[in-house]
Amino acid sequence: MDLAILRVVPFIMLVHMSSIMAEGATLFSELSNSLTVSVTGADNTSPNGTKAGADELLVTWALNSAAQVDDSSYKTVELKLCFGAPSQVDRAWRKTNDILSKDKTCGFKIASPQPYNRAGNTTKWLVGKEIPFAHYFVRAYVLDSAGEKVAYGQSSNAQRTSNLFTIEPISGRHASIDIAAAVFSAFSVISLFGFFFYEKMSKRTSKA
Amino acid sequence: MAKRSSNNLDTAVLRESRSPDVKFMKSPEAAGDQGMELPDQASGYAHRTSYSVASSENTVSIPNLQFKQFEQEQSELEDDSESEAPFSLPVDSENKAKKIKFFSAAKPHMRAFHLSWFSFFACFMSSFAAAPLLPVIRDNIDLTKQDIGNAGTASVAGSVLSRLIMGALCDIVGPRYACAFLVMLTAPAVFSMASVSTAAGFLVSRFCIGFSLATFVTCQYWMSSMFSAEIVGTVNGCTAGWANLGGGAALFIMPLIYHLFQHPLACDSFVAWRLAMFVPGMVQVASGLMVLYLGQDLPDGNFRELKEKGKQVKDSWSKVIFYAITNSKTWVFALAYGYSFGIELTIDNIISQYFYDRFSLPLHTSGVVASVFGLMNIISRPFGGFLSDWSAQRLGMRGRLWTLWISQTIGGLFCFLLGRLDQLGPVIVVMVFFSIFAEAAAGATFGIIPFISRRSLGVISGTIGAGGTFGAILTQLIFFTSPAYSTETGISLMGIMIVCCTVPIMGIYFPQWGGMLWPPSKSRNATEEKYYLSEWSKEEQEKGMHLASLKFAENTRGERGRRITPSTTNACAVTYA
Repeated sequence: MDLAILRVVPFIMLVHMSSIMAEGATLFSELSNSLTVSVTGADNTSPNGTKAGADELLVTWALNSAAQVDDSSYKTVELKLCFGAPSQVDRAWRKTNDILSKDKTCGFKIASPQPYNRAGNTTKWLVGKEIPFAHYFVRAYVLDSAGEKVAYGQSSNAQRTSNLFTIEPISGRHASIDIAAAVFSAFSVISLFGFFFYEKMSKRTSKA
Repeated sequence: MAKRSSNNLDTAVLRESRSPDVKFMKSPEAAGDQGMELPDQASGYAHRTSYSVASSENTVSIPNLQFKQFEQEQSELEDDSESEAPFSLPVDSENKAKKIKFFSAAKPHMRAFHLSWFSFFACFMSSFAAAPLLPVIRDNIDLTKQDIGNAGTASVAGSVLSRLIMGALCDIVGPRYACAFLVMLTAPAVFSMASVSTAAGFLVSRFCIGFSLATFVTCQYWMSSMFSAEIVGTVNGCTAGWANLGGGAALFIMPLIYHLFQHPLACDSFVAWRLAMFVPGMVQVASGLMVLYLGQDLPDGNFRELKEKGKQVKDSWSKVIFYAITNSKTWVFALAYGYSFGIELTIDNIISQYFYDRFSLPLHTSGVVASVFGLMNIISRPFGGFLSDWSAQRLGMRGRLWTLWISQTIGGLFCFLLGRLDQLGPVIVVMVFFSIFAEAAAGATFGIIPFISRRSLGVISGTIGAGGTFGAILTQLIFFTSPAYSTETGISLMGIMIVCCTVPIMGIYFPQWGGMLWPPSKSRNATEEKYYLSEWSKEEQEKGMHLASLKFAENTRGERGRRITPSTTNACAVTYA
């Protein structure tokens, strides 16, 4: 039994490591910037201040005609909501890494992957309630038939500082939660002092 | 008699914490034994692993000797039969229990034991409840690395002050009310966590919850009131170790509760974590109510009587504190404990996020993996105490110091390695070894503390305990708050700091027992009596205030290790015959 584990564990680790290396070989800098992406709020308003859980974002992407690229391998497009540089400061868990598998810039998926076509598409997406407050931009990754990233486009500049928009998150607080917390706290304090004085009283009466 | 039912190993094993008189009387028989000699644990802060697996006969080689002790014990029991009658455990003249039965909740001793460790466990859980949920909380409240680091520091900072105050509170209202006060008054802080919406609110909430970690003091105090000196060390080790599990349990349970609210109950993630915080709060309130309703301060139930009997030597507080502060060993061990127990608290705060961020594990998985660190406490801390006692049998106090230094240094090296590795499998393995050595070092520290001083034992233990949490504050502030370096670098640097802060232990020297690098002094004055009586002035000795220290000094002769000659032991046996 132990020998079997000794054989299996290194094998699993080898598979794990090789899978990392397979993805990790692709760097963001190797991708070609071939799409143009733009974002607006519903009814073409500014996307700034979009409310999570309530408002929608309209994401438009298309092949950048100015960049002469061979798009024969482009198969699917994935849209992602990504953190702008100001929202990555002091937050190492959102750090940009050139190695794609370790990159944490784009944390949220926008809608489901869609098939690629030259003319592009506009996607409407209801902003989810798990989206935190931050400055965002949208990035579109193009995948080939093997599911590997081959190209991208984003609504911001390369340093992720321009054209950012904010999303207003839900607070997660509800009146009912606050009330329940107050009730439980009051119960805790009152039962403590109640018990204390009750015991004091009964000692006094038993002494008397 | 019902007391004879303590035939089972789990109670007999714990009788290892022998009062010195019994040990010395039996040692001529034990001398021929190949098995382990039982160590002399005068004030019995010894820790044993065997009780947790005591049901299996083959675990340790102790059983041979146990039964010899047990035979002697039976004759003792026959003498004390009258005093045992109202209690289900054998007791001494103060009605403090002399044995422990883990699977009993009988009034008052075992009930107090279980209430005490469970309430401390609940407080540990509440203090670290937010840690595994940080990936969600940091998004909800928009926290930066500094906010998280400061809140983590705050979560242990409050307890430094509250631990110092708790001792006094226990003296005034008794451990039961002190524990209940602390637990019930910090529960609102746990519930308030469900309503925080800013980084400042988060910090204040964690700070207030952290006060509850002072239940360490009420735990020790209550156990010292309920269990006699020979066994109080083991009991304190058990309660401390099992309560520290709360840190690991929080990392394990909180993500599960969070997911329960998120999926089957379909709450948004930012709502689910808030609801999850109600659970540790309710557990805390429940434990407080149980302590109030089911617990009692003393075996005979009346706290005021203890004060009237004047059990404690009426000593001057200023003198006690003076001797505690001027003893350099206090500070060396406070620093060392800060880098064993303090590190444990720090890791409890940061490790779940570390697994989530660095290895991209899902929230509940990173919680489970991270919890392994804290859960190792169930055996590693008692094991440390056991190792300390085992080495003391052979090498005396020098053995204890070496055990502490070795385990803490190896722990530091594993910590250094933990930060360097970036593959998940090796990281988990290294973390497990790190936890074993760091927690064993914490247990081994409390194997030495009872011998530092007799007069100021309470204040010294309290100072060293506070030093533990101070170490947690320091490491979190230095290594895990600044965005200048990554968490893994912080962990490695912390490992180096552990090794450095363990070096002062090499300077510890007892004239009668030696130190790590120096053997005991050959001078005639290097005796246990001289060491402990040095804390009493001539006038105080004339008043007879030093007698308890004198008795204690004789009890500590076992710390010389195998150098104990038969003549010495016979002399002591005569004293107690």
